Amino acid sequence: MGRLLFINTIDSRILAGITMFVGMMILVGWVAINEESRMQSFVRQHNGRSIERGAELFASLCSECHGEEGYGQGDRAPGLNNPHLFGYDAVGAQTAAITLANRALVRLNDNSETLLAEFTDAENPPSEARQTEILAAIEDLEAQIEEQQAAITAAVAQRVEALNSLDTATDNDLFPLWDTVVDIETTAVDEVEVFFNTNGTRLAQVGWAGDLHGYIVTTLIHGRPGSVNVYPNGTGMAAWSQTAGGPLRQDQIEDLAAYIMNWDKGEGWTTEDFIAVQQYGKPLADGSLPSEPPPPPAGDDVAGILARWAAEEVVGSATSGELLYDAEYGCTDCHRNGASAPDTVGTASRILNERLTLPQFAGYTVEQYLVESITRPGDYVVDSYSSGLMPSNFGVRMTDQQLADIVAYLLTQE
Amino acid sequence: MSILPFPSFLDDVKEKGFKKAVFEGIDDSVERLTAGLNVQDLREAFRGESPSRRPNPRLTPHADGFWLHMRPSYFNRDVTGIYPTFRLGWLSSYFVFFETITGILLMLWYTPSPEIAYGDMLTILSNVPLGQLMRDMHRLGAEFMVAVVALHMMRTWITGSYKKPRQFTWFTGLLLLVITGFLSFSGYLLPWDQLSLWAVTIGASMAEATPVVGEQVNLLLRGAPELGANGLLRFYLLHVLLLPALLFVFFGVHYYKVVIHGHSLPPRRENIGEDSAKRVPLDKRVYFIPDMLTYELMWLGATTFIITVLCIWFYHAPLENHADPQVTPLGTTAPWYFLWIQGALKLGDKFFWGVAFPTIALGGLALLPYLDVTPSRRFSHRRIMLTLAMLLVSVSTVLSYMGLAKFAVQTSAETEIVHELTFEPAHSKVGVGRTIPYSQMVVGAYTTAELHGRDGMAASDIIAEFNAETMANGQFDQMVQELKNQHLGANQLPLRFRAVPPDEAPKLMQVIEEFAHHLDEEPDELPNVWGALVITDNQAGLKRLDWIVSWDSVLIEGGDVQYDDAGEPILLYQYQDVPQLDSAGEALLDEAGAPLTSRELVLDEDGNPIPIRRIYSDHLFIHKASAYFD
Repeated sequence: MGRLLFINTIDSRILAGITMFVGMMILVGWVAINEESRMQSFVRQHNGRSIERGAELFASLCSECHGEEGYGQGDRAPGLNNPHLFGYDAVGAQTAAITLANRALVRLNDNSETLLAEFTDAENPPSEARQTEILAAIEDLEAQIEEQQAAITAAVAQRVEALNSLDTATDNDLFPLWDTVVDIETTAVDEVEVFFNTNGTRLAQVGWAGDLHGYIVTTLIHGRPGSVNVYPNGTGMAAWSQTAGGPLRQDQIEDLAAYIMNWDKGEGWTTEDFIAVQQYGKPLADGSLPSEPPPPPAGDDVAGILARWAAEEVVGSATSGELLYDAEYGCTDCHRNGASAPDTVGTASRILNERLTLPQFAGYTVEQYLVESITRPGDYVVDSYSSGLMPSNFGVRMTDQQLADIVAYLLTQE
Repeated sequence: MSILPFPSFLDDVKEKGFKKAVFEGIDDSVERLTAGLNVQDLREAFRGESPSRRPNPRLTPHADGFWLHMRPSYFNRDVTGIYPTFRLGWLSSYFVFFETITGILLMLWYTPSPEIAYGDMLTILSNVPLGQLMRDMHRLGAEFMVAVVALHMMRTWITGSYKKPRQFTWFTGLLLLVITGFLSFSGYLLPWDQLSLWAVTIGASMAEATPVVGEQVNLLLRGAPELGANGLLRFYLLHVLLLPALLFVFFGVHYYKVVIHGHSLPPRRENIGEDSAKRVPLDKRVYFIPDMLTYELMWLGATTFIITVLCIWFYHAPLENHADPQVTPLGTTAPWYFLWIQGALKLGDKFFWGVAFPTIALGGLALLPYLDVTPSRRFSHRRIMLTLAMLLVSVSTVLSYMGLAKFAVQTSAETEIVHELTFEPAHSKVGVGRTIPYSQMVVGAYTTAELHGRDGMAASDIIAEFNAETMANGQFDQMVQELKNQHLGANQLPLRFRAVPPDEAPKLMQVIEEFAHHLDEEPDELPNVWGALVITDNQAGLKRLDWIVSWDSVLIEGGDVQYDDAGEPILLYQYQDVPQLDSAGEALLDEAGAPLTSRELVLDEDGNPIPIRRIYSDHLFIHKASAYFD
C-alpha cells in the first residue's frame, strides 16, 4: 500500500504531508475570502425563511382578525397591509406644497406690513421719493401675495381631490378622523395641516418615537388591551409573546414582524392600496371610553359560571354558538379531523360515553365538562393530545352569553 | 572575564570565534527542546540515515521528554501497514483532538440557553468568518468519530486482539465507545433546533423505561419533565466538561495499556499470551523517530485535508427550525448510532428492548474476552466468534433500519405524501415541492388529474372536463371550503383548475408528476384520488402553495386498509336519517312524540351509494430569497 502511494520513503512522506497541509491552508484561505458573500447570502436566505415562518403564523393566528390579506376587518382590527401604517401619507405632497406656500405668504404679508408702517409713520414721515418707492413695492408684494393665495387654493383643491379619491375608505367610516376634515375647503388651512401632521401616518397618530419595526414588535409582544374600546366588535389584541404570557417565542415574534414589514411597498403605495384597506387604526379619543362598557368576561371559575347561568337564566343559542365556534374564535382550526385536537363532530356523545366515565369526572354534567374544558383547558388533556396547545385565555375573551352559546352548539354535536 | 559564575556567550565567542559559538548555542538549544536530539541527529533522521552517535540518540526523547514518553520508541513492522489496524485507533485519537479544537472554537460563540442558543447558531452561520466551516467540521468529525470507534471495536473483535493479555484494554475501549456515543449525543441538543430537540427527546425517553430509577434518571438528565433551559445547560456541561474529562482519563488508560502490551500483531504472527512489545526482533523494529513520526504527520495532513474538502463541497451540518416542544415533526428519529435501540423498541416491551437489551448487549461485549476461550487467534480457529461478529453487524444493521421512521410507523397515506413533497430542509434533503424555482411558481390551481386523461387528449381539454366534473359533484367546492378553513384569502380562492404551462414551468410540471405518482402508489388507501396544488401570491416576493388531496374514504383499522371478501377495499358511504313512515305515509312517532328515523344510505341518481369524500390539505410559503433549490 505504502509503495503504491509512493510514501515508503521518509522524504516522500514529508513531501506528501507538506502538500496536504499547504493544500488545506489554501482551501481554508479560499473559503475565508468568500466568507463575506456567503454570510450575506445566508442572511438573505434566512430573512426569506423568516418571512415564510411569519406568513404561516400570521395565517393561523392573526388572519382571523386582521384579514387573510392583512386588510383588517371593519370594527374588528386594523389593516396591516396598509399604506397608512407604513408611513405613506396619501396627501403628503399636497400638504407640503400648502405648507411652503403658507410660509411664503406669511413672509410677504410681513414685508408688506413693514412697508405700510414706514409709509404711515407720523413722527418720521418718508420723503416724497421714498413714498412713491414704497407704494410701488407694496403693489408688487400684493401681486405676489395673490399669486401665493392662488397656489394655496390650487394645492388645497388638489388635496381635496386626492381625499375624494379615497372616498371609499373614508365614507365607510373606516377612518373616521378623516370625516372631521371632509369640509377641508371651509376649515382653516392651519387646522387641516395640524391634523395631517398628527394623523397622516400611524406612527404620528399614536405619537410613537421609535421606528415601525419596534412599534410592530412591541405591539406583538404586549398586545393591545385598549382595542376593545376602539373596536367594539373586536376582542382586544392578546399579548402574543411568552415574555408577556402569550404563546410565541421571541424568534417567532421576529418572524411575524418580518412578515408584516414585508408588506411595505416604500414609494410604490397607491390610492388603490388605501382603498383596499378594510379598517384603519384609530387612536383612542382623549380618555373617553365607549358609553356602554363591554360585558364582563366569563372567567375561569367553572362553578361560578354555572351558578350565574342558573341565576341569570342565561340560555345558549346553538346557532350563534356555531358562528362563534367556527369564525370568531376559530375553534375548528384545531378541532377537526381529530389530528391535533379532538374532533368537533361527536363531542357531546364522546363526553357522555367516554370522558364522564373516568373516575375524576364523577358527578360532572356534560355542560360542566365543556365549560371547564373551554375555560381551563390545562386541567385535563385527553391522553393522545399534547398539553398546552389550547389557548387558556378563552375565559377572559368570552362573555357568559358567548360561552353558553358555544356550549349549546357543542351539545348538538352528537 | 564574565561577571557570571559560569562562562557567558561572549566568553564563548572570545574563546571559539563567533560562528562556532553561535552554532554550538543553536545545537545546544535544539537538543534541550527535543530532549536529546541535536541538529546533526535530526538531519540524519529526516534524511533516512542511521544514527551516527551511540547509544542511539533517537531513543532519548522517549526516555527523557514529556510528550514522547507516552509513545513507544519503536513499533513492530507487522503493525505499521494498513492491515491489521486500518489506522482506526490512530484515527479515533485524531478525532478526539480534532473535536476538542473545533469544539473550543465553537464555544466562543455559544451560550447554553434556549432563548439564545439558536440565535448563536445563526450568528455562527451569518456573522463569524469560517464559522460555518468550523461547525461543519465539528459535526462531521463527531459523526466520523462514532463510526471510527465502532469500526475499531469490530476490527479488534475480528482479529481477536482482545485476548490475553489485552482483556482490560478491550474493556477500557468499550468504555470509550460508550463515552463517544454519549458525547456525540449530548452535542446533538446544543443547536436547539427541531432536529436536536426531538432526536434527544426520543433518545432520553429510552432511559425512562429503567425500573425504579428511570424517572429519576430522566429528571436528573433533563432538569425538568420536558427538555428546557435546565436540560440544555446539563447537556452542555456533560458535553464540554464531564464526558470529555472521562474520555481523556480512559483514553490515557487505554493507550497506556496499548503501549505496555504492544500493538497486537496479525493473528498468525502472534500467539495468545505474548506481549508483542517486549520482544520485537531487531530486524522488525520500525523506530518512532523518524518513520512513525513522518507517517503520523502525513496522515494528520491528509485526514485534515480530506475533512476540509468534505466540509467545503459535500457536507453541511444540518440546522432546522427553532426547537418547538409543541410541534412534533413527522418522522423523528434518534441519531443514527442510537437507531438500533429505537428499532429494538418497536419489537415490544419498552423496558426489555429499550434498557435490558442494550445493557445485555454491552455487558456481553465487556465480557467477550472471558467468553471467548478459543486458545488461538487464527481466523480458522475462531469460526464461532467471527460468526457472532457478523451477526452483531447484521443485527445492528437490521435494527437500525427498523429504527427508521418509515418502518412500522402508522401515518395516513395523504399526510405522508404531502409531507414527502413539502418537508423543510432536514438531513441535507428537502421536499421537492420547495425546490420549484420562484419564477416557475405560476399563480393558479393545478391538478394531478391533468396527467390522467385519455391518450391524445389536450391538457386543456382534460382540465376542462375535470373542472366540469368536480364542480358538478361538489368536490371543487369542498376544496374551496378547505382552503377557506386554512385561511386562504377570499380574493385568492381558485375559480377553476388550469393546465400547467409546461414551457414556462417545467419544474412545476415535474412536481405535479411526482405528486400524481405518489398518489397512484396508494390505490387502496386513496381510491378515486386527485391531488391539487394551488399557488397564490401572498406578498411581494412571497407565494403560498396549498397542497390538496381528495379521495373516497375507506375503512381503516389500526392503520391498515380493510378489504371485503372480494379483496376490494371497503368504502365508507354517506348515510342520512330518513323519517319512518307507516303504510299510510304518515310519519311514525316514538313515545315522546318525536319522529322516528332510520339511517339509510344516500343514493345517487342511478341508485348507487355515494362514498364519503375526504379532503386533506397542507400549505407552505416560499419566499424568493429562501433558495431551497440551491
